[in-house]
Amino acid sequence: MSRVLVVEDEQHLAEGLRFNLEAEGYQVHVAETGEAALECLKAESPAFDVVVLDVMLPGKDGFSVIAEMRHAGQFIPTLMLTARGHPDDVLKGFAAGADDYRAKPFDLTILIARIRGLLRRREWLRSSVNHQTIPASAPQDSRERFTFGDKSVEFEALELRVRDQVFPVTLMEMNVLRYLIRYEGKPVSRKKMLEEVWGLHEDTDTRAIDNFIVRLRRYIEDDPTRPRHLVTVRGVGYRFVASPG
Amino acid sequence: MIVAGRRKTIAFFITLGAGLVLVTLLLYIGWVLLNWRHGILLFLGIVLLAMIISGVVLNTIFLVREIRRNAQHDAFINAVTHELKTPVASIRLYLETLQTRAVDEDKRKEFYRIMLDDSDRLLGTIEQVLRTGRVGPSSRKLNLAPIALSEVVEESLARVRNLHHLPAESLQYEPCPPVSILGDLDEVRAAVSNLLDNAVKYSGSEVKVTVRTENIDGKYAAVRVRDEGAGIPQTELKQVFKRFYRVPGPLATRVKGTGLGLYIVRSVAKRHGGRAWAESEGPGRGSTFVLQLPLAK
Repeated sequence: MSRVLVVEDEQHLAEGLRFNLEAEGYQVHVAETGEAALECLKAESPAFDVVVLDVMLPGKDGFSVIAEMRHAGQFIPTLMLTARGHPDDVLKGFAAGADDYRAKPFDLTILIARIRGLLRRREWLRSSVNHQTIPASAPQDSRERFTFGDKSVEFEALELRVRDQVFPVTLMEMNVLRYLIRYEGKPVSRKKMLEEVWGLHEDTDTRAIDNFIVRLRRYIEDDPTRPRHLVTVRGVGYRFVASPG
Repeated sequence: MIVAGRRKTIAFFITLGAGLVLVTLLLYIGWVLLNWRHGILLFLGIVLLAMIISGVVLNTIFLVREIRRNAQHDAFINAVTHELKTPVASIRLYLETLQTRAVDEDKRKEFYRIMLDDSDRLLGTIEQVLRTGRVGPSSRKLNLAPIALSEVVEESLARVRNLHHLPAESLQYEPCPPVSILGDLDEVRAAVSNLLDNAVKYSGSEVKVTVRTENIDGKYAAVRVRDEGAGIPQTELKQVFKRFYRVPGPLATRVKGTGLGLYIVRSVAKRHGGRAWAESEGPGRGSTFVLQLPLAK
């Protein structure tokens, strides 16, 4: 079941959206402030599939919420929903990282169709990332599971098993890990990871990746402050070491 | 971002003004050096200098004021847009829901209630905006008649309680012996309602508002509305009555409003020969708003 995060401080609208989205078969969570929304997204298990984001929120406004999400490497499809329909506002929303922008009052059926569209795109993306063409230089890698030490990575199930514990990971975290495992023992630059995992070619702030590494370390390292599997290569990026000596 | 842009524009014009004054002064010094022997020319120079400098200063002041006013106006348009569009969006959302989905009886009733609330809110904003035009300095004459103050207050209390779904005990009323004031019923009612509405809006989740009426020296009647809410910094006590003005900060985004309510209160008070003011011990310590109107003779 797809999970939708509705960030809206107007209770009436939030409840109306919840009723309709639940009727569409989605699981809906409502956050009333930008801060609460960011908290929800950080906790992210299980992750949300779509965010519906209001602009005029108490505290952090929608523009800063989406900017922070994108900066933290959360690329969840986001539809901004706001009373401000001025072209400048629309452009600002897209510049901050929104995938879609609707002005209030909105047409319910069209809004739902757009949310469905975002979900569909996410599905396509998910399947295309999973079956992405592997660069010729890279070793072939079609395993479903990778085991190292007492840990194993279930690529398809999006799970990490450490001894008898199971951690669910997000698609993007898994893709980062899959990529590092593919180049096991070799340093991989942040830029290369952005290009091959995210498909981003511009000079984005490559630090976004660090957040993913921090989260992955929390799962697979015995002591996340002294990583032995996901090692930082200073000035370059990261290296995955399956069996540290 | 827009605020920073405005500050930059203001700084630019002030610098430009100062620069022009400096250039004029330098030119004048040159003039003095050239014509220090000719008394009449020196005198003419001083007159011209004074005129030019005062012109530049005045121009700068008006420019800066205009920029500030524009900023407030933009903020107002934004707030009104939000206040008008949100209830419409909500009503429309529920109407479409009712039209396209099977909704059981209980939900249906709840939706009707929500839509009624939203239409009340919409009407409230529209009335507020229209009233702002009516209470301005050059507007229609007052329809003066003796009014029983207590009745107006009780009526407004009932309306606000209803609007915000509040229990009776969260809005206390301590009336003084019955007084009658000379005023325009419609306007006085609006002013009192605005004060009560604000007190509730800025109270946060725990509403505790006390309304008291007083007879001041047999000349005036005062309505004091005290809340235990957010409070107001000393520097803002007068500002809050300005048109479109809202105390900057997180509260202004959390509590929705147009910045018209208190402007209306003050305008109504002035039109009736009374006054309105605010008292607060500071942020977080509640505030008291007082509306003072002349008694009917």
